[in-house]
Amino acid sequence: MPSDIRSFFGAKGSQITGSSQEQKMPKDVAKEKKAKGRAKRKVLSDSEDDLVAESTKKSTPKKLPPKKQMKRDSPVGEITTTSEYFASSGKSKPTRSTPTKPKTQSERKVTEESKAPSAKSTPKATPKPEPATNGKSSSRKRSKPNYAVDFDHEDSDFAPKVLKDDADSGEDIFVADHKTGRKGDADAYQSDDDKDEIIQPTRKTTKGGKSASSKKRVESSDDDMNIQIKDLPMKDNSEYKAPKASKVTNGAKASKGRKRKSEELEDEDDEDEDHGAPASKKPKSAKGKPPAKKATPKKKEEEPQARTQVDDILDAIPTVRAPTPPPRDGEKIFNYAAFNANRNEPVASGSSTDVPVGAENCLAGLTFVFTGVLDTLERTAGQELVKRHGGKVTGAPSKKTSFVVLGSDAGPKKLETIKQFGLKTINEHGLFELIRKLPTNGGDGKAAEQYEAKKKQEQEKIEKAAEEMVKQERAEAKKAASFNSSSQPVSKGDIAGSTTTDSRLWTVKYAPTATSMICGNKTQVDKLQAWLRAWPSNVKIKFKKPGKDGWGVFRAMCLHGPPGIGKTTAAHLAAKLEGYDVIESNASDTRSKKLVETGLRGVLDTTSLLGYFAGDGKKVEAEKKKIVLVMDEVDGMSAGDRGGVGALAAVCRKTSIPIMLICNDRRLPKMKPFDSVAYDLPFRRPTVDQIRQRIMTICFREKLKVPPNVINALIEGSHADIRQVINMLSTAKLDQDAMDFDGGKQMSKSWEKHVILKPWDIVSKILGGGMFAPSSTSTLNDKIELYFNDHEFSNLMLQENYLGTNPMLSNTYTGKEKSFKMLELVDNAAESISDGDLVDRMIHGSQQQWALMPTHAVFSFVRPASFVAGSQSGSQTRFTSWLGNNSKQNKLMRFIKEIQGHMRLRASGDRHEIRQQYLPLLWYRLVKELQEEGKEGIDDIIALMDSYYLTKEDWDAILELGVGPMDMEHSKIDTQAKSAFTRTYNQKSHPLPYMKASQVVAPTKKSKERPDLEEALDESDSGVSSGEDQAVLDDDKPLDLKKDKYVAAPKKKKAAVKNKAGAKGKGKGKVKDESEEEEESEEEVKPKKGKAKAKK
Amino acid sequence: MALLVDKYRPRSLEALTYHKDLSERLKSLAQSGDFPHLLVYGPSGAGKKTRIIATLRELYGSGVEKIKIDSRVFQTTSNRNLEFNIVASVYHLEITPSDVGNFDRVVIQDLLKEVAQTQQVDQSARQRFKVVVINEADHLSRDAQAALRRTMEKYSPNLRLILLANSTANIIAPIRSRTLLVRVAAPTEADICKVLGKVGKQEGWGEAEGLNRRIARDSGRNLRRALLMFEAVHAQNEKVTDKTPIPPPDWEALIAQIADDIMAEHTPARILLVRAKLYDLLSHCIPPTTVLKTLTFKLIPKIDDALKAEVIKWSAFYEHRIRLGSKHIFHLEAFVAKFMRILESYLMGMDF
Repeated sequence: MPSDIRSFFGAKGSQITGSSQEQKMPKDVAKEKKAKGRAKRKVLSDSEDDLVAESTKKSTPKKLPPKKQMKRDSPVGEITTTSEYFASSGKSKPTRSTPTKPKTQSERKVTEESKAPSAKSTPKATPKPEPATNGKSSSRKRSKPNYAVDFDHEDSDFAPKVLKDDADSGEDIFVADHKTGRKGDADAYQSDDDKDEIIQPTRKTTKGGKSASSKKRVESSDDDMNIQIKDLPMKDNSEYKAPKASKVTNGAKASKGRKRKSEELEDEDDEDEDHGAPASKKPKSAKGKPPAKKATPKKKEEEPQARTQVDDILDAIPTVRAPTPPPRDGEKIFNYAAFNANRNEPVASGSSTDVPVGAENCLAGLTFVFTGVLDTLERTAGQELVKRHGGKVTGAPSKKTSFVVLGSDAGPKKLETIKQFGLKTINEHGLFELIRKLPTNGGDGKAAEQYEAKKKQEQEKIEKAAEEMVKQERAEAKKAASFNSSSQPVSKGDIAGSTTTDSRLWTVKYAPTATSMICGNKTQVDKLQAWLRAWPSNVKIKFKKPGKDGWGVFRAMCLHGPPGIGKTTAAHLAAKLEGYDVIESNASDTRSKKLVETGLRGVLDTTSLLGYFAGDGKKVEAEKKKIVLVMDEVDGMSAGDRGGVGALAAVCRKTSIPIMLICNDRRLPKMKPFDSVAYDLPFRRPTVDQIRQRIMTICFREKLKVPPNVINALIEGSHADIRQVINMLSTAKLDQDAMDFDGGKQMSKSWEKHVILKPWDIVSKILGGGMFAPSSTSTLNDKIELYFNDHEFSNLMLQENYLGTNPMLSNTYTGKEKSFKMLELVDNAAESISDGDLVDRMIHGSQQQWALMPTHAVFSFVRPASFVAGSQSGSQTRFTSWLGNNSKQNKLMRFIKEIQGHMRLRASGDRHEIRQQYLPLLWYRLVKELQEEGKEGIDDIIALMDSYYLTKEDWDAILELGVGPMDMEHSKIDTQAKSAFTRTYNQKSHPLPYMKASQVVAPTKKSKERPDLEEALDESDSGVSSGEDQAVLDDDKPLDLKKDKYVAAPKKKKAAVKNKAGAKGKGKGKVKDESEEEEESEEEVKPKKGKAKAKK
Repeated sequence: MALLVDKYRPRSLEALTYHKDLSERLKSLAQSGDFPHLLVYGPSGAGKKTRIIATLRELYGSGVEKIKIDSRVFQTTSNRNLEFNIVASVYHLEITPSDVGNFDRVVIQDLLKEVAQTQQVDQSARQRFKVVVINEADHLSRDAQAALRRTMEKYSPNLRLILLANSTANIIAPIRSRTLLVRVAAPTEADICKVLGKVGKQEGWGEAEGLNRRIARDSGRNLRRALLMFEAVHAQNEKVTDKTPIPPPDWEALIAQIADDIMAEHTPARILLVRAKLYDLLSHCIPPTTVLKTLTFKLIPKIDDALKAEVIKWSAFYEHRIRLGSKHIFHLEAFVAKFMRILESYLMGMDF
C-alpha cells in the first residue's frame, strides 16, 4: 500500500509541477505574496456577478500570460469542449454504478442556477485538456479535473476564492518544487494558510446569501467533485490507467492514494469541509448516503466505483487537511509560527463550532494522535470524542497512526514523524467531519475491517475464557459437592444456589487462578514463582548464588506498585501455584518491633499443619508443608508499629521461609531498611489492552453489556486500577445491564481518586496555556480550584515561573511589537501578583480574613496566569526561591541583630544603619584587610573587633552579609591567614558586652510582681516576711557567692547574716528587689546594690 | 581603636558642633530641674542619640557614661520567653522595643512599670527621676504606644521618657501631646565638612577640601555616614586628593548595577535576572523601601524628562504597597516590570 501511495504521490508531484508550470511558470515568490493579498481582497466580493469580472481581472493583472490564455481560451473553445466533455462524462458514467448517476443529475436539478454556470464552467475547464494533451501528458489532464470542479463551485457561489486558492496552491507547489520533491506538501501547507484566511469569510457569505439552498448544493458539489474526478481519469485513459486500476481494485488504498495525489482536489475538499462545519446538516445527509452504499459491500469489489465512492467520501473528507501540517517540518518551522500567528485570530471566532455526534463506533479501527493546541477543541475533549466513537488515541505518531489531529504549537518531534511516515493530518474540523460522515463501526474501510476481525477474535477469546471459567467453577462446585455429599447430605440445589447468588465480591470471584489470567506484570509474577520454586535449593546453598536475575541471594521479595494492579493477588497466586501455604500479615495487625520479633519467631521455623492434617474428608495436601509469609502493606506500618520495619528487615535477613513484602511506595524513607534485604519487584500499571480482555470476560459472564470503548474509558479513568474497574462494574450491574460511554465516563469520574497536584504540576498546568486557550472549557472556578490544590505554594510557584512563558496573547505580534506586548503582559501579571500580596496580607496578617482565599487565588494565581499563559518551552518549572531567600533573610537579620547588640555600647545606629552604613567599612577593615594583608593585619583586626565587642561569629556574619562587590563568593580569603586569624583570636581574651540572659537564671513572672506586696508585708508582719526573706536569701546566696570572688565559701553564713542585717537597716522591702537583681546580673548597679556591696 | 565616628563622638552638649541653639535649649532644660518627656525626631545620622547622651550627662554627670548591656528575659502571655537587651547606666535605661517585634507591648508594660515603681535610691543623684530612652519609637506597635500613654503620666515622679524616632508620623497623638517635641535636623553640608575637617586634622590626615565636600554631598547629609565614608576613603587610599573616588557601599553598588541591567534590556528574561539581584539585596537585610528608593534615584538620571514623573509615581505606588504587603519582592518586581514597560512604550513612541 505505501508503495502505491508513493507512486501516486510521485505521479501527483509531477502532475502538480505540470499544472503549475502550465499555469504559472513565470511567477515567482513575490507574486505569490501578491496573489495572497489579492485573494483576500476578493474574498470580500462574493457576488456571483462579480465572478466573470473577477476572473478576468484576476487573469489580467496578476495571472500571467499562460493563465490568461487559458481563460481566454475557455470562452472561445466553449462549444466544442462541452460536447466533448459531455461525451466523455457520458462514457464514464456508465462504468460508474447507477445510483451515482441519478444523484448527480438530481444535484444539477436542485439548483437551476447552478446548471447554467456549470455548463459554462465545464466548457471552461475542457479547453485546457486540449492544450495540455498537446504539450504535456498526464499532469495537465490531472489539472483539468480540478478546474472543472472549481467551476462547479463557482456555481455554488464560492468559486472565485476556490479558483484563487487553486492558483495559490499551484504557485506554492511550484515554488516548492524548486526546492525538493517532497516539499510539495510544505507548499500546500502554505497555500492552506491563505485558504484558511479566505475560507472564513467565504463561509459567512455562503451562510448569509444562500444558506438554505447552498447546503444541498454544497453537498451535491461534493458528489460532483468525486464524480468528476473519476470521470476525468477515465476520460483520458491513456496514461492514467494504472493508477485508476489500482484505485478500482483496492478501494481504500486507492482512495487514499488518490487523495495524496490530488492536492488540488483536496483543496477543494477542504473548502467543502469548511463549509460543512458550519452547515452541519449537510454532512449528515452525506453520511446517510455512504451506509446505504455500504450495504452492498461485495458489490463494491466488483463495482469499484460504488466502493470507491463510499470510501472516498469517508476518506476524502479528512484528508483534505493532510497538506496543511507536513510543511511544518524542518526549516519551515518558522513559517509555521507565523502561520499560527496569522491563524489564531480568525479561528478564535469559529470556536463556537458544536461538537458533532457521529454514528456509534464510527471511528473503529482508526488511530489518532493529537498534537498542539486545537483551536476550537480542548485536547482532552478531542481525545474523548475520538474514544467515544471507538477510535484509538495514542500519544505519539507512528506508522500505524491513521490521522494526526494537528493544532497550533505542535511539537517539532511529532511533525518530524508525521513527515517521515507521511501521515494524514487533519484539524478538528476534519475530525468532526470524519465523525459525521463515517458510518457505524467504521464502515467497510480496511482499518475498520481489521478492527472488526480483531474484535471478533477478541470476542471469541472472551467467550472461550468465560466458558473456561464456567467449566472451572463447575468442577469446583462438583468437588465441593462431592465432599459435601460425602459428609453431609446437602442437596444439589444448594450448590446451584451458591453459584447463582454468589455472595463473594467480584474482585474475589474473578481473582485470577492461573498466571495466564493475571493482567500485565507477567515477568514479575514469573520471577516470583521462579524464586519460590528455587527456594529449597537456595536454602541448601545458603543463598550464595545470585542467579541470572539476581534474586538468588535474597530471602525476601518486595513487590511494590500502585494500588489495584494485583500485587497481593500475584503473591497469593504464585504461592498457591508453587504449593506454599500463605501466612499473611497486613496493616490490620500490629507489627511493632516486639511483635514482629516474637510473633515471627514462631512462624519462621515451622511448617504448615496443612501438610499433615486435613479437614474431614479432605485429602492431606502434602505439598502444603511449605509456608510463605506475605507481609502486606508494609508501608502502612505506622507510628504504632514502632521499630517494626527494622525488625522485619532483620527477620528478612535470616528467615528460613520465603517472605514477600508488599507496599505501594518503595522509595519512602521508612522503607529504606529493606534496600539490602529484599529483591525489588516493581509492579507496573498494566496497559488498557492487558486488562480489557479480562474485564470483557467478566462483563460477559455477568451479562453486562459494555462496549469496549466504555471499558477503555473506565480503565483509563481509574488509571488501570483493575480492582476499581471491577468494583465499578459490579456496582453498575446492580441497576443496569448495559453501560454507555457517558455513563462509564461519569462513573469513572465519580470514582476518581482525588489527586492533589504537586506545585510543579499546578503551575505548569495553569501556565501551559491550555486553560486559557480560546477553546478551553475550564471555568474560573476550575482555575481557582487548581490554586487550592496547594494554596501555600501555587501562588509562589506561579510568581517564580510566570516570566518564563511565551505568552499566547503575544503570539499575534511580531518583532518589536511582540516584545512590547510581552512586557505589557508581564507588567500586568506582576501588578496582579502585587495585588495578590495585599490580599495575602489580609489573610495572614493581623486580620486573618480567611474568607479572602478565593480572592487571593484570583489575584495571585489565576489573573497573572491569564496574561502570560503560553508555552513554557525553553524554561524549566523552577521551585519557588522565595522560601529560601526568606529564610536566608531571617538568618542574616539575626546576625545583624546580634552584631548590633554587641556594638551598641559603642555605636548609636539601629540595625539598618549598622547594616547600611557601618558594615561596608567594617567589612573593609575586617575582611578585606585580612584578605590583603594576611597575617600582618590580624592584630589590627582583632583590636577593632574588641573595641566594638565583636566576636568571631560576628566576623563570620559580616563576611556573609556582604552583597554585590562584597559578596562572600568573591571574597576568597587565604585559608592560612584565616586559620591564623582564628587561632590568634581564640588565644586572646576578649571583652564581652554582656552576659547572655540564657546563662542567668530567668526570674519568673510571679516574682517580678512581688514588689507590689512588699511594703504591705514589710509593715504588717515582720515575722513572716523575715522568714520569707531568709528563704529568699538562702536561695540567692549561693549565686551571690559564686559570682563574688571576694566572698569565700566558708563565709557563707556570715555573709548571709550581714546581708540580713543590712536589709533590716535599710528596709526589708528592698532586699528582695536586690536579690532579684543580683540574680539577673551580678553587675546590675542600682543604688541599693551599691550599698549592699559596700556593706559586704 | 574604634572607628572615627565613635572615636570622636562628642560627649557634652558644649562639644556639639552644630545646632547650637538646640544644644542651648537642651542644656537649659537639663538644668531646670523640670525635665519633660522628650520626643526627639530627625533623620538618621543627624545626631539625635549623641545629643541625648550629652543631655543625660548634663543631667546626671559622667555617671551615665558607665553603661553596660543587660539581658533580660520576659515571658509573653503565650509563655514564650523573650530575650531582651537593655543598655543601662545607674541613671538611665536604653531600650529598643522593636527588637522583639510584636511583643514590644510586653516589654514596655513590664519593664517601664518596674522601673517607674522604684524610686531613685542614690541620694547623691542629681535628679529624682530615672530616664528611659526608647529607640526606634516610631516602630513601636500601636499596642505598645497605648501602653506608654498612661505610664508616662502616672509615674512621672520617678520616670522620664525620651523617645527617639525618625519621624513623628507613626507616633500616636496622645503620646505626641505628652512629650516635648525636639526636632534634630540633618546637618548642613557645611556642618559636615567642618566636622570632617576637624576629624581629619585630629587623625593627622591630609586635608582634601573638595573630597570632604563631595562626601558631604554623597552622604545625604547624614553625618554618621559621612564620617564612615570619610574613613573608608582614607582607609582605602594612602593619599587622598580631591579627585579620589568615594567607594559606594556594597548594596548601593549592587543597586546601581541593577539599574544598568534594567536600562540595558527590557525583556521578561531580564526581569528574571534582576529578580535574583533584588532577592540578594533583600536577603542581605537591605530594607525593600530603601532598595526601591535608591533604585528609583539611580534610574531617574538615565531616562528622559518626560518619563520621570511617571516613574516617580509608580515608585511611590509600589513603595506604598511594600508597606501594605508582606512579600516585598513581588512589589519590587512589579515596579521593575512597570518601569520597563513605560520605558519601552516611550521608546516606541506609544502612549503608556
